[in-house]
Amino acid sequence: MFRTAARRLLGAGFTTSRLLRLPKPRPTTIIPYSYCTSSTESPIGNQSVNPNQSDPTATSSSTAREEGHRRDENSRKPRAEFEEEQARVLAASLRHVPRLGWTEEAMIAGSRDVGVSPSIVGSFSRKEAALVEYFMDDCLQLLIDRVDSGLDLQNLIPSERVSKLVRIRLEMQIPYMSKWPQALSIQAHPVNVPTSFKQRAMLVDEIWDTVGDGASDLDWYVKRTVLGGVYSTTEIYMLTDNSPEYRDTWAFLDDRVKDAFDLKKSIQEAKYFAQDIGAGVGKSFQGLMNGVMQTMSTRGGRSSAF
Amino acid sequence: MALRSISRRFGSRVLSYRSSSVASLHSHATSFGFQQVKEEEKSKLVGNVFSNVASSYDIMNDVMSGGLHRLWKERLVGKLSPFAGMKHLDVAGGTGDVAFRIFDAVNSVKRRALRKVDEDSLEETQIYVCDINPNMLNVGKQRAAERGLGDNKSLVWVEGDAEALSFDDNSMDGYTIAFGIRNVTHIEKALAEAYRVLKRGGRFLCLELSHVDIPVFKDVYDLYSFKVIPNLGELIAGDRESYQYLVESIRRFPPQEKFATMIADAGFEKVEYENLVGGVVAIHSAIKL
Repeated sequence: MFRTAARRLLGAGFTTSRLLRLPKPRPTTIIPYSYCTSSTESPIGNQSVNPNQSDPTATSSSTAREEGHRRDENSRKPRAEFEEEQARVLAASLRHVPRLGWTEEAMIAGSRDVGVSPSIVGSFSRKEAALVEYFMDDCLQLLIDRVDSGLDLQNLIPSERVSKLVRIRLEMQIPYMSKWPQALSIQAHPVNVPTSFKQRAMLVDEIWDTVGDGASDLDWYVKRTVLGGVYSTTEIYMLTDNSPEYRDTWAFLDDRVKDAFDLKKSIQEAKYFAQDIGAGVGKSFQGLMNGVMQTMSTRGGRSSAF
Repeated sequence: MALRSISRRFGSRVLSYRSSSVASLHSHATSFGFQQVKEEEKSKLVGNVFSNVASSYDIMNDVMSGGLHRLWKERLVGKLSPFAGMKHLDVAGGTGDVAFRIFDAVNSVKRRALRKVDEDSLEETQIYVCDINPNMLNVGKQRAAERGLGDNKSLVWVEGDAEALSFDDNSMDGYTIAFGIRNVTHIEKALAEAYRVLKRGGRFLCLELSHVDIPVFKDVYDLYSFKVIPNLGELIAGDRESYQYLVESIRRFPPQEKFATMIADAGFEKVEYENLVGGVVAIHSAIKL
C-alpha cells in the first residue's frame, strides 16, 4: 500500500516491480523509442518541453512502456536498447569505483569492459551522478530482494527490525567505503539533490513498509523524516569508523533507533499530559465562571468579583 | 511500440514523397539555396562557394554570429565529452575550429593530471579532420601551424567526401559535423556513412543552423538573414552570392524534428536535439548501438 502511495507521491523513478526483472528506467531517460525529443540543458536555449520528467501521471505511461518492452522483445530489436546498454556500462563501472572513484574514468573503464566505445559516457546526462544513482537504485532493489527471499523479522520488535534493515542496506556500501564521501558530495550537488532526495525517500519508505507499521496522515511524514535522519547520521558515522566489522556503527545505529522510538513514546506521553492538564484547568476555570455567574444573579445589579 | 511503428511509417512516407518529387523532374535535382540544380552540379557549386570564402571564413563567422559561433562550438565539444585515446572524425571541419577544441579538451593540463595510468590510455588520441575542399583544409593546416601543432601526430587532415568516407567501418569513437551537413547533396548518405564509421557506443553530433519558430524573433531573424548578411558578405569577403546561398540553404534544410527522424532512420539510437538561441542553431546528438 505504501509502495503505491510512494509511487504516486514521488513519481515514476521506481518502476521495477519485484515480479518483472526488467531494466530499470533511469529517472532522467528519454522516451525509449529512437525518436527525437528536445532537452533543456542549454543555458541559452529556449525550448522547455521535457516529456521525460517524472510526474504522478508517468506511472501509467511507464507501465505501458514495460509492456511495450515485453512485446518488442518478442517481435524485433528492443527499442530501449540504449537504456540497457547504459545500465550495463554502469554496472561494469561499479567494479572500477573502489580504484578510480565515482568519476568519468571509472565509467570509461566500465564501458571498455562491456565492449562499447567510451564515447557513450558523454551521453549520460549527469555522468558521475548517473553512476551514483544507479548504485542507489541497485542497492534498493537488492534490499527488496533480501526481504522477499525470507528475511526473518517475525521475532523482532519494530525497533530491532528497523535496525536490521538499515544495517543490511549500509553493509552494501562497505566495498565502496573509501570513495563513499565522494558519492555523498555528488549527491549533495544542487543539480542532483532532487534525484538523491527521492531515492532516499523511497528507501526510507520501503523500510517502514517492510517493518509493517500502519500509519496515516502526519505520522507518515514524521516517521519517514525521523528514519531518514537516523539513516543519514549512521551513514556518516560509518565513514570514520575503523572498528572491526563496523561494530561501533551498529551500536550507534541501535542507539539512534531506540532514541527515535523513545522519542515517539515521549511525544505521546507529552500529548496525554497536556490533555490532562488542559482538562483540569478547563474544569476549574469552568467552576470559577459558574460561581461568578451565580453570585451576580443572586446579588442583582451590585457588581462584585472582577 | 505503436509510436515507433508510426514513426517508421511516417519516415518511409517522407522518403517516398521525396523520391516522387524528385522523379517528377526530368533528372535528379536538388536544391542549391532557393535554386533547383542538378545533383551533379550541387557539389561543384558548393565547392566554388567554399573556395571563395575559405580565406575569410572565420572572420565572417565571427561577424555574422556576433562571436556566438564560438560558444556554440564549445557547447558541441562539451556535449561530446572527449577522452584520451579517442579516435574522432570531424567532417566538413575545414578550418579546424571543432578539431582544435577537441584537441585542447583532451590535452588540457587538468585532464592530464587526472589521467590514471591505464593500459588503454596509452593509445593515442587521433582527430581526423575531413573536408571536401582543399582550400578549407589548407587554412586549417595553417592555423594548426600557428598554434604550434603543425607536426602533431594527433591531428590528421584528410580530403574526403562526407557521402563516401575513406575510413574503415567501426573505427571512430566520435563523429561531429559542424555547419557542414547543410551543404551535402544527399543527407541520408552522409548519415549512413556516419553510422558506418562509428564504433558501437560511438556518438554522432551535428551542429547546424536550423529553424526558428518563435513568432517575433523569427521575423527579426529573417530580416537579419536576408538583408544584413549578404551585404556583410559583399563588404567583408567581397562575395555576395556565396552568402546569399548560405542564407537560402539554411531555409531549405529540414527542420529539427524532421532531421532527427532522418538520423533515427539511419539506425541511430537516443536521438535528441537541443535548440540554441531559440532555434537559430540546433545540436542533434545520437548514439550508435
